[in-house]
Amino acid sequence: MAPSSLALNTFRGGASTSLGSLFQHLTTLLQSQKALQTTCNKSQKTPSQGVQESSGMLSHWVVLVLCCLGQLCADQSMKPQLAAPELATNNPTLTTVALEKPFCMFDSSLHPNKSYAIYLYVMKSSASTISSVVTDSSSKPLDSTFQQTHGGHLGPYKAASFDVPNCVSPPRLADAGDINKVSDVLKQYLFRVGDDGTCLYDPNFLDVCNPPLAPDTTYRFKYVLVDNTEGIVKDQTLWSDPIKTRKAKLPMKIDIWPGRRSGSMIVITSILSVSVFLLLAGLLASVFSALVESEDPSAETKGMSETTQQSELRPQLSSE
Amino acid sequence: MQHEARNKGELCWQVSWEGMAGIDPQGSRRTALAAEEHLSSQLLPYSDRKMCGIALTAECIFFVSDPHGLYPLLEATENNDIYAAAWIGIFVGFALLALSILGIVGVMKSSKTLLLVYIILMLITYAFEMASCITAATHRDFLTPNLFLKQMLERYMKSDTDNNNDKQMTEGVTKTWDNLMLQNQCCGVHGPLDWQEYTSAFRMTHNDADYPWPHNCCVMNTRSEPINLDGCKLGVPGFYNSNGCYDAISGPLNRQAWGVAWFGFAILCWTFCVLLGTMFYWSRIAY
Repeated sequence: MAPSSLALNTFRGGASTSLGSLFQHLTTLLQSQKALQTTCNKSQKTPSQGVQESSGMLSHWVVLVLCCLGQLCADQSMKPQLAAPELATNNPTLTTVALEKPFCMFDSSLHPNKSYAIYLYVMKSSASTISSVVTDSSSKPLDSTFQQTHGGHLGPYKAASFDVPNCVSPPRLADAGDINKVSDVLKQYLFRVGDDGTCLYDPNFLDVCNPPLAPDTTYRFKYVLVDNTEGIVKDQTLWSDPIKTRKAKLPMKIDIWPGRRSGSMIVITSILSVSVFLLLAGLLASVFSALVESEDPSAETKGMSETTQQSELRPQLSSE
Repeated sequence: MQHEARNKGELCWQVSWEGMAGIDPQGSRRTALAAEEHLSSQLLPYSDRKMCGIALTAECIFFVSDPHGLYPLLEATENNDIYAAAWIGIFVGFALLALSILGIVGVMKSSKTLLLVYIILMLITYAFEMASCITAATHRDFLTPNLFLKQMLERYMKSDTDNNNDKQMTEGVTKTWDNLMLQNQCCGVHGPLDWQEYTSAFRMTHNDADYPWPHNCCVMNTRSEPINLDGCKLGVPGFYNSNGCYDAISGPLNRQAWGVAWFGFAILCWTFCVLLGTMFYWSRIAY
C-alpha cells in the first residue's frame, strides 16, 4: 500500500488525535510522496544523459527500479475512502455513504494549463455484476445513469462530477467546529453519495443524478480523472473496498417484557399483605373479645347484688 | 380495691392512647401521675395523622398535575397505572384527614360505636392505599427503555392513523417527543442511532437522505432551526444531540412511582400501629 493511505489508516485507528493534526500529517506525507515521485521522474531522465561510471549507473538503475515500483504501487493502491469517522459519525447510513474527496490522488497526472473534472462511479458489489469498466472503447468515460444500470446492479453509474480538490491547501478539519466554516469544510472535504432524494422523479432535472442507495447492500466506488477539453479519461483510482449500507430492524421485534420484578415491589406487596391480614385478625379478635366480655357483666352484677343482699341481711340479723 | 385498680389502669391506657392519637388531653384527665409521665414522654406532634393525610394528598396532586408532560407517553403505551395510583392517593389522603378527626372525637368521648365505625372505615381506606402502593410499585417495573423505544418508533409522526383514539395518542406522543428533544437536547431513547437501526413510522414519510433522524435532534438556534442541516445529517459533533432521552423520561416517572409507593407505605405502617392500638383500646372500653 502507498505510504500516504497506510498512514491515514493508522491515524484513523488511533482515535485520539485532533482533526487538525490528522490532516497536517496527511498533507505532509502526501507532499513527501510527491517529492519522491518528482525525484523518480528526474532519475528516469538521467540514464539517457551522458556516459556514467559503472557503479554510478548501477546505483541509478537500482534507485530507478525502486522508485518506479514505489510509484506504480502508489498509483495502484489509491482507493476512495470513507470520510473521517471523527467528522462524519453517521456514516454509512441506510441510504447514503459519505466519501472523502480524492485529495492528491491524481496530482501526478495533472498538467497545469488544462481543466479537469473528477467523476464518481458507483457500482453494486455482487457476483452478478456484468461489467465494472467505466470507459468505453475510445477512453471516454461512461455516461450511465442510476436508472439505466438499475441502481448500479448491471454496472457502474455516474453519481457525481466535481472539480479536482485542492491538494496544496486542503480544508482543515478543525474548522468543522466553527458554525460559519462548517458548510465549506464539508463541501470541500467530502461527497455524500445518495444525497438527492428527488432527482429521480423530477423530469426537469438535467444534472448528474445522485439518488439514494438501497439499504443493506454493498457498494463500491471509483474516482475517475477526466480531461474537460478532450473528454477522455486520464487517470482512475481502484475500486474501493466494499462498503455496506445499514440494515434496519423492525420495531415490532423489540422485546418489551420487563423481566424480573424489582425487590421494592416484592417488599411492599408482602409487608402490606401481611399487615392487612394482621389488622383483620385484630379486628376479629377485639370484636370477639368484646362479645365474650359482654356476657360477663351479667355474672358480675349478680355477684354484686348477692354481696349487697348479704350485707343487708347481716344488719337485719344483728338488729334482730 | 380491684375496681379502683382497674379504673386507674384504664385511665392510664386511655390517656396514653389519646396522646398517640394526637389530641391535647384535657386538664380534667390529668389526674394519674403515672399516666401524666407516660403521656409527656409519648406526646407526639399535634394532629400527626392529619398532617400525613394532607401531605399524601398534596404529593399526589403534584404528580397528577404532570409537570414534565410525560402522561401522553404512558397513555399511548396503555400503561398509565402509576397515574391511577396517584389519583387513589389523593382520595386516600382526604379520607385519612377526615377519619383522623372522627378518631379524635371518638377517643375523646370514649364512644364505642364511633370508634367501631372509625376502625372499619380506616380498614377500607387502608385497603385502598395498599392498592395504590402496590399498583405504583408494580407498574413502575414495566417502564423499560424498550417500551418507550417501541412506542416512539411506532407512533412518532405516524401518518395513517386508524381511528380517533389512535390519532389522539399519536399526536400526544409526537408532541411529547418534540418537546422532550428540544428541551433536554437529546435524541431517541438510547441515542440518535435508534432512528437508523430500526424502521419506523417516521421513516415512512421522511426519507433517510434528508432525515436520518428528526430535525429536532439537531442543535437549534434561537429560532428553532438547525444551525447547520448538513452537519446534523452527517453527524458532525456539535451539530446534533448525541445523547438519549431515556434519563429525562425515567427520572420523573421513577420519582413519581417511588414517591407514591414508599410514602404510602410509610403512612400505612404508621396507620397500622395506630389501628392496632385503637382496636385494643376499643376492646377495653367495649363493655
